Amino acid sequence: MSEKKQQVTRRQFLNYTLTGVGGFMAAGMLIPMLRMAVDPVLQESGAGDMVNVGLSVDDITDEPQRVDWNVEQVDGWHESEVNQTAWVFTDENGDIQAFSPICTHLGCFVSWEGSDDHPNEFFCPCHDGRYYKDGTNVPGTPPLAPLDVYEHEVRDGMLFLGQAKSRGEA
Amino acid sequence: MLQKIYDWIDDRVDITPIWRDIADHEVPEHVNPAHHFSAFVYCFGGLTFFVVVIQILSGMFLTMYYVPDIENAWRSVHYLQTEVAHGQIVRGMHHWGASVVVVMLLLHTLRVFFQGAYKKPRELNWMVGVLLFFVILGLGFTGYLLPWDNKAFFATQVGLEIAQQVPFIGEELKTLLAGDPNIVGAQTLTRFFAIHVFFLPAALFALLAVHFILIRRQGISGPL
Amino acid sequence: MKKGKGMKFVGDSRISVERKPNKSKDYSEYPGRTEAFWPNFLLKEWLVGAVFLVGFLCLTLAHPSPLEGVADPTDAAYIPLPDWYFLFLYELLKYEFASGDWVIMGILVLPGIAFGAMFLAPFLDNGPGRRPPQRPIAVGMMLLAMVSVIWLTYTSAAAVDWESRAEANKPVHPDEQVEIDTSHEGYAVYENSCLSCHGGNLEGGAAGPALTGIEYGADEIADIAVNGIGTMPPDQFSGTDEELDQLVDFILTVNEEAN
Repeated sequence: MSEKKQQVTRRQFLNYTLTGVGGFMAAGMLIPMLRMAVDPVLQESGAGDMVNVGLSVDDITDEPQRVDWNVEQVDGWHESEVNQTAWVFTDENGDIQAFSPICTHLGCFVSWEGSDDHPNEFFCPCHDGRYYKDGTNVPGTPPLAPLDVYEHEVRDGMLFLGQAKSRGEA
Repeated sequence: MLQKIYDWIDDRVDITPIWRDIADHEVPEHVNPAHHFSAFVYCFGGLTFFVVVIQILSGMFLTMYYVPDIENAWRSVHYLQTEVAHGQIVRGMHHWGASVVVVMLLLHTLRVFFQGAYKKPRELNWMVGVLLFFVILGLGFTGYLLPWDNKAFFATQVGLEIAQQVPFIGEELKTLLAGDPNIVGAQTLTRFFAIHVFFLPAALFALLAVHFILIRRQGISGPL
Repeated sequence: MKKGKGMKFVGDSRISVERKPNKSKDYSEYPGRTEAFWPNFLLKEWLVGAVFLVGFLCLTLAHPSPLEGVADPTDAAYIPLPDWYFLFLYELLKYEFASGDWVIMGILVLPGIAFGAMFLAPFLDNGPGRRPPQRPIAVGMMLLAMVSVIWLTYTSAAAVDWESRAEANKPVHPDEQVEIDTSHEGYAVYENSCLSCHGGNLEGGAAGPALTGIEYGADEIADIAVNGIGTMPPDQFSGTDEELDQLVDFILTVNEEAN
């Protein structure tokens, strides 16, 4: 009886060792691979530089105007120029505002006074989403959050824009 | 909980006999290095399989970054080697694994050959093994082109020239492999990629399954 | 397990209602010095595997996988080489009986016989004896094949200067490659006298080093072009003095741009 008991413990011991060695081998193989796979998650997002968008501060009015500019985008091994757009104007305090035109609902392109029925508002044609001039979404329309805001800076009278941030972070 | 899940599956699929057969089968004394040190020669087959597993895993992860396109293939490999954490190691595993698997396969083949282990009733398994050998060499040949560097390009060109010299079907054979009768380029790369990543691995899995099932059914060959 | 009449199945399936107990065989059931596969023998295999894996990872860490420059089909100076396990076939094609009119020998007949014989080995060597001395022909053929493959691989590999090969084929990113101004008047001279060894982009090749990043002055370059240096034979350049000036100027401008 005692002999049989011992046999069982021997088997269990071997099983534990087997699991350990197997785990070591699996880890040795998989750790470099998994580290490689999750690399993009662990990359620090490069804080984008401010880019001159080619608009003089003097030309900014209280009427939102569309500004287009290009940024160099490095996507892994692929480098390209990406077009970016903002709606720029001065608010009632005279501060410069630069809104992202990406609708917070489903990512369509929002235009200032894009609909004749809704003057003085940003309008998204996809699902009739609307935003007030200060970028907050009109209650009762599809968007659930205000428009994203670009970081901005004025250097030598020219407007520089950075990354678009949602209002929560800004 | 786990026991209940197991029982539920076992009730329906009756898996216990399958894996008890694998777990409990008797390993004879003559292949056990604990009894005869020279039995280490029986490890080569297992090690070949182990490296094949490494190749499959590292290959799967490499395709996360690799693009089979002449514009981007080299750039993506360069990127994953220089910019991605541990990318150098994973590509290293795949690159050196390709050589190690051939070495292990040679040793395994020689062990089986010199022991005469392919004799009746194991003829079929030997032939499946030789086919596996060809599949592995094919994987080595097609994988060589994928980084799209000079070494890859010119070695593949030589390989295709050799295919072209086959009588009667040479031209067609070359075009079939290269995708174009004259150019070694974009279409060649995608073809080699497809062969390397889908066709040959599929053959490899099927042959490996047959190889292992036959070993399990016939048992390992006895001592000399 | 009971068979035939009286056997009960799960539903309309072929799965028997009776469960086989999921218990490992007792060690006393293993005759002689045989051993259970799981866990006893598998543990030994895995220990070998773990040691092997450590060695393998050390290899990959010690030798980063090589990458050469991006494929350039116009690079005439490049000498192609297959992976080492194809070197024996590559070398075989250098022999007279396996090339030229006899190329079929080299690419089909000889490898076909060798690999075909290997594939059909169980039927060619079909005697009952398994020990090598009992089947001298099969073993002899295999030894002969092994020796020839090793010999061919060795001769092929020994003829290659691996270090200078690696040196000449560094992975240069295509975006960082030196721009070659082919309209430069010295380029035509370069093309005639130097390109075959030093490459279309001055990147060097098997026969000559790269000409970018050199530290010679104009006079020294002119002297080397005419008189040679190291293993480079003299009189590689043959032309007028004016052409020599243009050539030197061309090489110097490329170097300035590269820096």
